[in-house]
Amino acid sequence: MATKACMPRLAPATPRSTFRALLLTLPIAIWSLLMLFHPGTPTDPKSRIAAAMTAVFMTVLFFMMMRTGKTYRWRRYFFVSLGFLFPVGFIYNLILVRGTMGIPIEEMIAGRTPFCFLPIPLLILPAALTKTIIFPGSIAASRYAIAGMMGLWLAITLVLGKGWCAYACFFGGIEEGMAAIPKRARIRKIDPRLRYGPWAVLLATMLLSLALFDSVYCTWLCPFKAVTEYVTARNTLGLIQNGVFILLFAALVVVLPLLTKKRTQCSFLCPFGAFQSIFNKISAFEVKIDRTRCKSCGVCQNACPNLSLSKESIAQGETLLSCMKCGACVDACPHQAAVWHIKGTELAWKPERARLMFLYAAWAMAVMFGGSIIAQGLVTILHFLA
Amino acid sequence: MLAFAVFGEALTLGLVSGPACMAACGPVLVSPLLAEQTGLRHHLRFLSTFLGARLLGYLLFAAVAWEIGALVSMPLSSRVLVMGAVNVLLAGVLFWYAYSARQICGSSCSSSKLVNIGTAKESRVPGAAVLGFLTGFSLCPPFVAAGVRAAELGSVTQALLFFIFFFVGTSVWFVPFIGISCVARNHAVITVARMTMALIALYYLFLGIAMLMGRKGYGY
Repeated sequence: MATKACMPRLAPATPRSTFRALLLTLPIAIWSLLMLFHPGTPTDPKSRIAAAMTAVFMTVLFFMMMRTGKTYRWRRYFFVSLGFLFPVGFIYNLILVRGTMGIPIEEMIAGRTPFCFLPIPLLILPAALTKTIIFPGSIAASRYAIAGMMGLWLAITLVLGKGWCAYACFFGGIEEGMAAIPKRARIRKIDPRLRYGPWAVLLATMLLSLALFDSVYCTWLCPFKAVTEYVTARNTLGLIQNGVFILLFAALVVVLPLLTKKRTQCSFLCPFGAFQSIFNKISAFEVKIDRTRCKSCGVCQNACPNLSLSKESIAQGETLLSCMKCGACVDACPHQAAVWHIKGTELAWKPERARLMFLYAAWAMAVMFGGSIIAQGLVTILHFLA
Repeated sequence: MLAFAVFGEALTLGLVSGPACMAACGPVLVSPLLAEQTGLRHHLRFLSTFLGARLLGYLLFAAVAWEIGALVSMPLSSRVLVMGAVNVLLAGVLFWYAYSARQICGSSCSSSKLVNIGTAKESRVPGAAVLGFLTGFSLCPPFVAAGVRAAELGSVTQALLFFIFFFVGTSVWFVPFIGISCVARNHAVITVARMTMALIALYYLFLGIAMLMGRKGYGY
C-alpha cells in the first residue's frame, strides 16, 4: 500500500503541449543537423537533400514521441526505414565498387569484406586465444572497417544494452516492417523454448568459429546475406550456402513475421541479439512491470515483438533478459503498469523522466548511426529518380 | 638422456599446441558439459572420462598407423576420408547425446551418473567416453605434427609413449573447462545445451558428408 501512495506520476501516454514537446525536441533537432551536415559529408545537391530529409524525419519522429507520449509507433517508422534503406544504399555501393553483390574469395583474401556487427561475438574467443581477428576485412581502412564498427557498437551498447536491436540494428527493420503488415497474427501459439534458439546459435557459432577459425555464422547462417552480400558461388557448396541464406531470409524475415507479427529472426536465430542481451545487465535503462498496477491481462505479452515477456516474468515485475526496450509493452499496457525505469531508482520514480533520458540517448545514437544510413539510402533513390 | 629429451619434446609440443586442441575439441565438449548436472566432482568425472577415451583413441590410431606405415605418409585424400568419417560419427553421437540429455535435472538431482547414450540397458555408454574416443581420431594439426615426430622414433612403444606425453601436455589446456561446473543448471541451460549440440551435429554432418564426397567445405 505504501507503494501505491507514491504512485501519482506523469502517465507515459499523456500528450504534452506542442510548445513543451518542441522544447524537448530542440536538442535532437540540433544534434540531427550536426550529425548529418558535419564537415566531411558530401556536398552535392542530392546528398544535401537526403541529409535534410533525414534530419527532418528524425526530428519529427522525436517530436511525435514527445507530443504523444508513445514510443513504439514512431520508433518503428525510423526502424523500418532504416531496415529497408540500408540494403538500397549498401547494394548500390557494392555494385559501384565491385560491379556485383557477390563477394569472391579474392576480395576476402585482400581484406575488403565490409564488416557488420553480427560477427562481433564470434571474434572474441579467437582474438583472446590467438590475438587474431577471424574476419576477412581490414581493421581501419574504410568506414566499413572493423575498428569503426566496433567502436560504435561499444559506445551504443554500453548505454543502451540490448536497445541496440531496436534503435541501431540495420537488419531488424525489415522483419519489423513485415510484422507490421497484417492486422492480426495467424500463428498465436509459439513454443517458448524457441526463445533459447539465439543462445544456442550463439554458443554453437562461437565454438565452431574458434575451432574452424572462420566466422561460421557469416559463412552459413546469416539470412541478411540474401539482401546484402552473398557468396560468389563457384561450386555446388556455394549454391547451397546461398540457398541457406535465401531460405532463412524468406522464412524468418518475411514469412514468419507476416504470420506471427513478431520479429522471428531476432527471437529465434540472431546470435548477436543473444550476445547483446548480456549487456542489458550493465545498461542503466530497463522496462519493468509495476505489480501494483498490473492486472495480468497479457496485453503487454502479446504486444512484445521479441517474446521478451512471459507470464512468469510479468509475475516477477520484470521483462526477460532479451528485452530490447522498443517500448511496445509500455505503449500497449492499458493500466500503465509497464514502465521505463532507471536502475538504482525506485520503481515509482518518474517513469516518464526515465523514458525521456533513455530516448535522448537512444535517439541521439539512432540519428548518428542510423541517420547516415537512411541518408545514404535516400541518396541512392534520388540518384535513380533523377 | 635421449629419452628424456624426446619425451620432454612431446610434452612441450602438447603444451604449446594445447590451445589448438582446446579449440578443436570445444564444440564437442562444451555443450555436452553444459547438458550434464552441475557440480565440480561431476565435471571432473566427465572430463577424465573424455580425456581417458581421447588418449585411448590417440594410442589406437597411432598403433594402427604405425603398423601400416601411415603415421607420417598418410596421403591427404585418406586423411580427408578419415576426418569425414569421424565428423559423421561425431554428428551421430551429438544428436544422440542431445536426445539422451532430455531428462537431465538441475542442481537438485541426486544421481551422480554421466549422461549415457544408447537404448538397451547393457549397451549404454557414457557419452563423454564416445565423444573423447572419436576426437582422438580427428587428426587435428597438432595431432598430425605429433604423428610426424613419433614416426621418426625407433619402435611402436616409443611412438606410443611420445603420444602419451604429448597428450599430457595438451590435457593441461582442458582444465579451464571445469569452470563450466559453476554455471547453474536449469531448464533453460539444458535446453540451450541440447539445441547447441544439435546445431553442431548438423554442421559436422554436413562437413563430414562433404569430405567423404571429396568436396571442399566452402563454396568460394
